[in-house]
Amino acid sequence: MLTSMKFRFPAALTIAALLLNSLQAVAQTPEAAAPAKVAGMSSQQLLFWVLISLLIFLLLVLLLSFVGIAVQMRPQLRKVYELPTVRHSWSGRVLGLLVGDATLVKGEVRDELLDHDYDGIHEFDNDLPPWWKYSFYATIIFAVTYVSYYHVAQAGQLQGAEYETEMRQAALLVSPDADDPNKLTTYQPLATPADLSEGKSLFASNCAACHGQNGEGKVGPNLTDEYWLHGGEVNHVYKTVKFGVTSKGMVAWKGKLSGKQILQVSSYILSLRGTKPAGAKEPQGEKETK
Amino acid sequence: MQVEPLLPQAAPKPPLVPRPLSRAVDTFFYDNKIVRDFGIATVVWGIIGMLVGVLAAFQLARPEANLGTQFTTFGRIRPLHTNAVIFAFVGNGIFTGVYYSLQRLCKTRMFSDVLSKLHFWGWQLIIVSAVITLPMGLTTSKEYAELEWPIDIAITLVWVVFGWNMFGTIARRRERHLYVGIWFYIATFLTVAVLHIVNSAALPVSLFKSYSAYAGVQDALVQWWYGHNAVAFFLTTPYLGLMYYFLPKAAERPVYSYRLSIIHFWSLIFIYIWAGPHHLLYTSLPDWAQSLGVAFSIMLIAPSWGGMINGLLTLRGAWDKVREEPVLKFFVVAVTAYGMATFEGPMLSLKNVNAIAHFTDWIVAHVHVGALGWNGFLTFGMLYWLWPRLYRTPLHSKKLATTHFWLGTLGILFYAIPMYWAGFTQGLMWKQFNAEGMLQYPNFLETVLQIVPMYYLRGIGGVLYLSGVFLMMFNLYKTAKAGSLLANEKAQAPALLPAAEDPHAEGGHWHRWIERRPFQLAVGATIAILIGGAIEMIPTFLVKSNVPTIASVKPYTSLELQGRDLYIKEGCSNCHTQMVRPFRSETERYGEYSKAGEFVYDRPFLWGSKRTGPDLHRVGAKYPHSWHYNHMLDPTSMSPGSIMPAYPWLFDQDIDYSTLPSKISVLRQLGTPYPAGYEQQAVADARRQAASIVSDLKKEDIEVKSEKEIVALIAYLQRLGTDIKVKPEQAAAQ
Repeated sequence: MLTSMKFRFPAALTIAALLLNSLQAVAQTPEAAAPAKVAGMSSQQLLFWVLISLLIFLLLVLLLSFVGIAVQMRPQLRKVYELPTVRHSWSGRVLGLLVGDATLVKGEVRDELLDHDYDGIHEFDNDLPPWWKYSFYATIIFAVTYVSYYHVAQAGQLQGAEYETEMRQAALLVSPDADDPNKLTTYQPLATPADLSEGKSLFASNCAACHGQNGEGKVGPNLTDEYWLHGGEVNHVYKTVKFGVTSKGMVAWKGKLSGKQILQVSSYILSLRGTKPAGAKEPQGEKETK
Repeated sequence: MQVEPLLPQAAPKPPLVPRPLSRAVDTFFYDNKIVRDFGIATVVWGIIGMLVGVLAAFQLARPEANLGTQFTTFGRIRPLHTNAVIFAFVGNGIFTGVYYSLQRLCKTRMFSDVLSKLHFWGWQLIIVSAVITLPMGLTTSKEYAELEWPIDIAITLVWVVFGWNMFGTIARRRERHLYVGIWFYIATFLTVAVLHIVNSAALPVSLFKSYSAYAGVQDALVQWWYGHNAVAFFLTTPYLGLMYYFLPKAAERPVYSYRLSIIHFWSLIFIYIWAGPHHLLYTSLPDWAQSLGVAFSIMLIAPSWGGMINGLLTLRGAWDKVREEPVLKFFVVAVTAYGMATFEGPMLSLKNVNAIAHFTDWIVAHVHVGALGWNGFLTFGMLYWLWPRLYRTPLHSKKLATTHFWLGTLGILFYAIPMYWAGFTQGLMWKQFNAEGMLQYPNFLETVLQIVPMYYLRGIGGVLYLSGVFLMMFNLYKTAKAGSLLANEKAQAPALLPAAEDPHAEGGHWHRWIERRPFQLAVGATIAILIGGAIEMIPTFLVKSNVPTIASVKPYTSLELQGRDLYIKEGCSNCHTQMVRPFRSETERYGEYSKAGEFVYDRPFLWGSKRTGPDLHRVGAKYPHSWHYNHMLDPTSMSPGSIMPAYPWLFDQDIDYSTLPSKISVLRQLGTPYPAGYEQQAVADARRQAASIVSDLKKEDIEVKSEKEIVALIAYLQRLGTDIKVKPEQAAAQ
């Protein structure tokens, strides 16, 4: 027992020293960073952090010395704990935890049989394991706190408010997009092989189900002829892809494809013109010649 | 084959507590035959239910496994699997254990052999009718309560027979006090009765069609109060009762703590009832009810663990036996699985965990740890313990039973780990945004294809587990062949003295008072289980602000109603939810989040509990009719790689208009504001709407007759979630 303690004590000290080192490192970071971002941190803030880290350091030292003393004095503490008047008091139980009395966690196992006999089954009447009992109390406290936090104090956000916050934060992250379906963009069709092949793979995974693997048209119209329902110029195609034509079942792809991806796929579609794939659907819309 | 001395008669042990033998001793016989019958039913239905489960598992990995018929498609097979394993396998398991232990704990034969037989055959008939009706698509769609109203009535009657037989036996007992196992049996009987009657309340339309007495949010609340407590009072409390009998018996050790059993019994049954709303977190259920669900779920940890602790600590001093005895091995894993599942459940009820886990395979993993581990293993252990005693011969092979144990354990691991992985992966993929503020995986299918390999592994886990059950069947069969059934087991016990002369009729621990009084115990348990349900349900039904009405939400047209009933019949809600939760990731993907007022005409509600496919609440008007037409005919044509089965029969079968007028009048009786006399116009109205859909399809070169089922289904899908988009002035004009 004693040897193991001796063994553990230096280990604990080493860990503590390491902890302190890292803590000091943390404490120093703002100082080191201070000259760089003088505008970011005022001297008051700096002082605040230094004092806070100092406080934490002191508390840690205090805690460690307390644990150290407790470990060193365990035999004496145990003697105190074993006094009959101490043992059953509230503070006595804290002392018991300190000197490592396992029955305080596991309960006293007396294994005294009750005079119960059910088809040969007997029953002990052992204590409720304290760890179990106090966990139960803890969950009850949690439950009461939880309900009062949200519904009595009304301090927490319920799902509607939570959603609004989430959307507000998202709006800050996402650049305000000119989301006006009536406004036409002024892009030029992309022509590099990289963009077109990216457009092709986007087409295969998103558009082919309705427009056919080669744009020949299935549920959706043929995209390889010269006829267009919503305009065949790249910015018109871009608009159709981005905002969709809900009444006819064309999905709006904004939010699912990025602006660049929409331009890539629009450019790829235009590159299909005149390819005359097998099984092409009959023309729909108005003829547009380039 | 090992030969060992016979346990029950050969080794009489001196009682640990000596008993004065001053009274006249009665001789009577325990009915073992009924126990054996229920035991066989348990094994047979277990194998059938698990086979169907394995089929369903592989259907999700390979759509071809749907076998191309409507009767074997996942949407109809999955309810068959859940009903078969819960009510047939576990149900018969409960009755096996209760009929064996109750007689011995009460020191009397079952109250009536006729009732026992009625109970046995009645229950098996109910299951057979489930096996027939569910694949036919006769379903209410309410999970674990899918059976239609005539079968519901039969269940009620058989349950009454069970209760009559049980309370009759208790009344004739030769034991003054009721053992903790019997408290759990009584709570089970009463609560299941209440749950079943309240949740099944419906008005019939025809012999095999009814509409729920509740609509929308209220239906959801009642259903998950039921669904959650079916787990509590069909899968948990009766099995705790069985554990309290069979575990100390097998370990030959006293129960660890009597007072723990008192505390955890009462706290468990009281708190369990409240936790139902944790199945509806982030839905349109009022916030206060959701919070109650969270709070009580957390409080449920300790009462649940009380059972586990009392079981595991009872094994103190018997761990050496666990090494040799497969029965105890099964019990240890069962109790541990119970502890894991009942800790995980409350964690899943925390809203931030639920936001990721809900609707994913994580939940599937969670319930299977409970079902395969706790219910399955406890049943197996019990059967291995019972068979040698019923047949008066040692178990055919302990080695085989141990092999079963390891196969089963491996099966659970192979099942659960991939499903946790799949659930976690998919839950995170649904929520992932990229740097541009868009969904990283906007195509739902991408998140499905990612986890298909896990579906294969899960199927393999199921096969492993099932192969163990086959070993057990063989082992039990050989055991029965080697011995002979002790149909009526002779027993002796002194008759109960009149209370006035019995020294045990008074005093003792304070709880002994109620243990001597089955009636008071039953009343106490009933009060404990009614409080939570009443406090959550009554305000949701009566206080209007809980379901704010939306003026533009109108009843379904007659054709949409027909389509909705097809959606129910095909079991679409087994894979598709209709509940867009208030998360940015969901409103980006699906559209506006679902509001309580949108569901006021939904009988039953179809929110679903699992998203194997995407949510459908906002699918209306998203795609053209032709998209749905092609998609239902061959899902891969519109979504390459889709694991959804095809529904070709919808294109052959005609819409059944014969019950439409009575559907309208039943719904009006329940409160849907159809105009007076609409019954007569309903069919013509439906045909008119069908014709317009057909003409729309014709514009896209699709020829379909207007009386085919697919037309009704398209009408319903196109209506879904669109009412809220109607402007108030438009609504007023209509």
